[in-house]
Amino acid sequence: MFSVCVRSVYTSKIISSHRDLVALVFYGTEKSKNPRNSFKHVYVYHDLDEPGAKRVQDVEALRGERGARLAADTMGSGEVSLGDALWCCSNLYSDIKLRLSHKRLMIFTCMDQPHGGDSTKDRQARTKAGDLKETGVVIDLMHLMKPGGFDVSLFFCDIVSPPEDESELGLQVEPCGKLDDLQKRVQAKQQKKRAMARVNLCLGEGMNVAVGVYANAVTARKPSAIRLYRETNEPVHSKTRTFHTQTGSLLLPSETRKAQVYGNRQIVMEKDEVDTIKKFYDPEIFLIGFKPMEKLKLHHHIRPSVLLYPEEQQVTGSSCVFAALLKKCTEKKVFAVCRYTPRRNYPPRFVALVPQREEVDESNVQVTPPGFNAIFLPFADDIRKLDTPQFPTASDVQVDKMKEIITKMRFKYRSDAFENPVIQQHYRNLEALALDMLAPESIEDFIMPKVEQIDRRLGPLVDEFKELVYPASYNPDSKPAAKRKTDEKKPKVEIPEAELRAHIKNGTLGKLTVPVLKEACKQFGIRTTGTKKQELMDALIAQMAK
Amino acid sequence: GKREKMARAAKSALVLCMDVGFSMSNSPPGEEPPFDQAKKVIQKFVQRQVFSESKDEMALVLFGTDATKNPLDQDGQYQHITVRRQLMAPDFELLEEIENHVRPESQQTDWLDALVVSMDLLQKGKYDRLNIVLLTDLSTQVSSDNLDVIIGNLGKLGITLQFFFPFPMEEEEHNEEGGGGDGDGDRRGSSRPGVGKGLSREQKQGLEMVRDIMLSLDEDEGLDQVYTFSEAIEQLFMFKHIERRPMAWPCQLTIGSSLSIRIVGYKAVTDEKLKKMWITVDAQTSKRDDVKRETVYCLDDDNETEVQKDDTIQGFRYGSDIVPFSKVDQEQMKYKHDGKCFAVLGFTKHDSIHRHLFMGSQTIKMFAPKDDEHAGVALSALIQALDKLNMVAIVRYAYDRRCNPQVGAAFPCIKQTYECLVYVQLPFMEDLRQFSFPSLENKKFTPSESQLAAVDSLIDSMMLVEEDENGQKEDMYKVHEIPNPAFQRLFQCLHHRAVNPGTPLPTMEQWLKDALERPSAISERCQAPLEEMKRKFPLKAVEKKKELKTGAQIFEPDAKKSKVDEEEEEFNLAKISEGNVTSVRARGLCQQLTHRIEQLLSNRSTHYYMKCITCIQTFREQSVKLGNADLYNSYLQSLKKSIPNSGLQVFWDLLVQGMISLFIGEEKKEVETEPAVDDAGDVDDLVSVCLNSSALKYLMFVS
Repeated sequence: MFSVCVRSVYTSKIISSHRDLVALVFYGTEKSKNPRNSFKHVYVYHDLDEPGAKRVQDVEALRGERGARLAADTMGSGEVSLGDALWCCSNLYSDIKLRLSHKRLMIFTCMDQPHGGDSTKDRQARTKAGDLKETGVVIDLMHLMKPGGFDVSLFFCDIVSPPEDESELGLQVEPCGKLDDLQKRVQAKQQKKRAMARVNLCLGEGMNVAVGVYANAVTARKPSAIRLYRETNEPVHSKTRTFHTQTGSLLLPSETRKAQVYGNRQIVMEKDEVDTIKKFYDPEIFLIGFKPMEKLKLHHHIRPSVLLYPEEQQVTGSSCVFAALLKKCTEKKVFAVCRYTPRRNYPPRFVALVPQREEVDESNVQVTPPGFNAIFLPFADDIRKLDTPQFPTASDVQVDKMKEIITKMRFKYRSDAFENPVIQQHYRNLEALALDMLAPESIEDFIMPKVEQIDRRLGPLVDEFKELVYPASYNPDSKPAAKRKTDEKKPKVEIPEAELRAHIKNGTLGKLTVPVLKEACKQFGIRTTGTKKQELMDALIAQMAK
Repeated sequence: GKREKMARAAKSALVLCMDVGFSMSNSPPGEEPPFDQAKKVIQKFVQRQVFSESKDEMALVLFGTDATKNPLDQDGQYQHITVRRQLMAPDFELLEEIENHVRPESQQTDWLDALVVSMDLLQKGKYDRLNIVLLTDLSTQVSSDNLDVIIGNLGKLGITLQFFFPFPMEEEEHNEEGGGGDGDGDRRGSSRPGVGKGLSREQKQGLEMVRDIMLSLDEDEGLDQVYTFSEAIEQLFMFKHIERRPMAWPCQLTIGSSLSIRIVGYKAVTDEKLKKMWITVDAQTSKRDDVKRETVYCLDDDNETEVQKDDTIQGFRYGSDIVPFSKVDQEQMKYKHDGKCFAVLGFTKHDSIHRHLFMGSQTIKMFAPKDDEHAGVALSALIQALDKLNMVAIVRYAYDRRCNPQVGAAFPCIKQTYECLVYVQLPFMEDLRQFSFPSLENKKFTPSESQLAAVDSLIDSMMLVEEDENGQKEDMYKVHEIPNPAFQRLFQCLHHRAVNPGTPLPTMEQWLKDALERPSAISERCQAPLEEMKRKFPLKAVEKKKELKTGAQIFEPDAKKSKVDEEEEEFNLAKISEGNVTSVRARGLCQQLTHRIEQLLSNRSTHYYMKCITCIQTFREQSVKLGNADLYNSYLQSLKKSIPNSGLQVFWDLLVQGMISLFIGEEKKEVETEPAVDDAGDVDDLVSVCLNSSALKYLMFVS
């Protein structure tokens, strides 16, 4: 049981923040192993270090019956002194030369009275726990089920860190009782709370409120690959240099300029001109005015929103203005329209600041932080004009049947309910390779419709609905028209130079397809890095102009 | 990222038909003549088409010209109409032609004749859309004899018309939720000046005819295509009208295994990026080919041994280990799926979807296929049912097999003229940043009643949406009608540089500046409440350490400011080399400079190394200018000596490469120049934050 949990701490640490140092210490062992061997019955299995595959395998070896035997051989079991264990841990922390930003100690145990009521040992442990907490260590209890229940109040309530104070209202999770919860808890992703920007929210001349800008959600991607030398598997680093093709001498940024090519014409600018073009305002969020909430269009979405929260340390008084604005915007059901310049040399975007009141759950844990969500608004360029087809609307009978279907398939949506199968699979693959597993653990694809369940729930409703809307001859699954098979191997098409030149002259190069353009590039010995049509065309035009 | 395939649609053709007759140059004192405005409209439009690399073809017809040049010129008919340019893709020649050859002339021509000439041009060639844009002040007497024939032909050929006048068509006409398109119908807000002025008889008559034509072409929305010149300059109506429609994405919406509805998706809103990026060219020759970029791979040993790219494989970090994981294996083991799909996972309450957790950069509208009425009815049933139940569908969406599947919500959307589903991507668990923040319900921050009252009146004074006398809601600030200023400004500068090379870039256009500001009515109204706010809420900026420093400040003899701030401090060194320094005395400068260099070097990062090099270059230049090489040379000598012990070899290599000659009075050869590699690439990226979209995202969300 313990090893499963520890393994899961390790594997999740490895994925979420591998730079964190982790140690594994056993207490109540027969043998002792610690830095100066000053503590009996404390066994430092892994010293504080970045975890890797080896450690996961080590812990895995402690699993099952064979694992228990191994543990008995290496460590044995002996007298318990949590005080000594805590003291040893505090030494581990202090032996590290690095400055640690967070220190956390998780105690895994199934004994609510580790010292069997020995008050001296209990007191000693309490003192040591107090010392640790004083140096900024957060002590968590990860207790397991125990017949008759695990009673935290007997002893451990004095050991673990108290709920954090008001000034830093953290998510305080109740100690958990089940292994499931335990695993879930340690697998939570660790994201540092860091402002993307700190800017002034300018309400008008001379009225600046400092705010921090935080991401609400960021599309998670697979971590990027590291390049390794094939022979030794050691990492290599890349260096990019810019040099003059003719002279071979290295070019400094000041010896180059920037250009764009449009309609056969190269337009050249200095680098600082390119920056100036992008500069509109200094970084700020400038208030334009307010609008009623219903004016915020659902489909006017261009990028994930950000959260604004006041920065009292930058401008004192900010929090009060912010709180007042938040209160009043909520009451009046309005949002603020603002012009947002996140940083220097950055063109502005407009945002709708939508008030968000703080929400806490029944155990007083914050589920929604207070602040303004900044929703990015589209410009005219971002909105596509569509030709909208018109159809007869459905009749009441048809709509009612669909209502029945919908009602049968209701569920409670939670934004954290869906894992990304692409990323999960990637991590499982990595884990399998790192730990020499035969096959990666299988993942559950949470965004796959549970077709059988749906069918069962809907029963005859589907056919009834189809009968109401589709004539017997109609099959919605038939493909409308056979698709052109474009990606079948086509004979390579070479294009005569004269024709190419004519295209360039008439500005009709764009009529050629990308494969033809690529072929033409090859034909004239142009090495192209890009695959964009425009890049190919530009390269050809440049070549032909020589 | 997924690359959108370009729609292989046929191109469209458009005739710009502009009145240059003498009345167009008339204007009351202090007002811009209609001619100038109309010319700007045309320039703006052509400019946009050139920079969007549009393949749509365009012709230019001028009327009211002194000369006559058009195919219909016969028997004294169709006089004073000049076809300046046949249908062709727009280019810089056209821009130059407009700039230099479109000027006020002295004739007056029947605009219906000009319309006929324009129609005639459109009959040659195959196009999927035909448009005529007519810009005139309607001051000429028009013969309406053949009006019916003309209207008939316009309809038959499927030509759409847009009219642009110096004055608005109606006093004020509102058109809430006009349907069609995506502008939400309620476009065009404020009235423009020039309304009340009496129109001439000809103009009134002309307007009547325009109304006739437009309403017979499109009963419902015909009049929506009549604009004023100033509207045209500030918004993109003309452009939007001819814009290519987005690619269709045909798919089936499935509910369980046996219920499917054929649908077609179109991107409705998307974070539009510029297609082109800046390329690097040699400063002297302006040639791209003269600049080459090369990436090499080195081992992390003392010699930084170079290895071939082919001798490298990829791996991923797994904790303290790095696991080799080849591309082939990765491809084989990765998550695979069945491709294109729009499958309902279930339905949920509308309000359980949080607007602030919308993901991705687009919304997609789903319709039934045009020719499939059954699908239309089935989809309508779903949309109506969702709307009535106030629910949404949660779906699995995959664009195609190569793209990663998403989870998203399909919202019902019911407009006057159409119904659709609106799809938006929702977050995965991994995407969420569930940060918690201290509560603001804190005694320290709780605003008093009088403070709340001040905020209340500020909000009231700054409402951008107000009811007018008729109970109509008027929105005076529609962001979705403002063209992206970044594009406008870039196009303006590129256009200027292309047509007037060698001259400095122009300032931002006034209309654009104004469009991004608070409306003046609001500014005035909020004055007093804002003052009250200032009185009620004391705000005090905490002394900032990290300020942007200019060269002048760096060289201020202030020894106390020593420690270089870790990350955010930025030195505008460009300014140093641009002369601020020349005013500083040499010896003092030398001290300050070397001090600065020392500080910068202590950071051990390429970013700071480059700043140092600029410092040293400046030092060198100034020393040469002042004819005093000793200070510089001896400093550099000592710097060089210190390199091996300070672990700054990378910096030294960079420096050696970066300078034409290191010591004053020496040739470069004499300095040992190992062909060491540098990180100049990174630095280049820092200096020119390009128009790259991913770079943009990076800056926005990661750092």
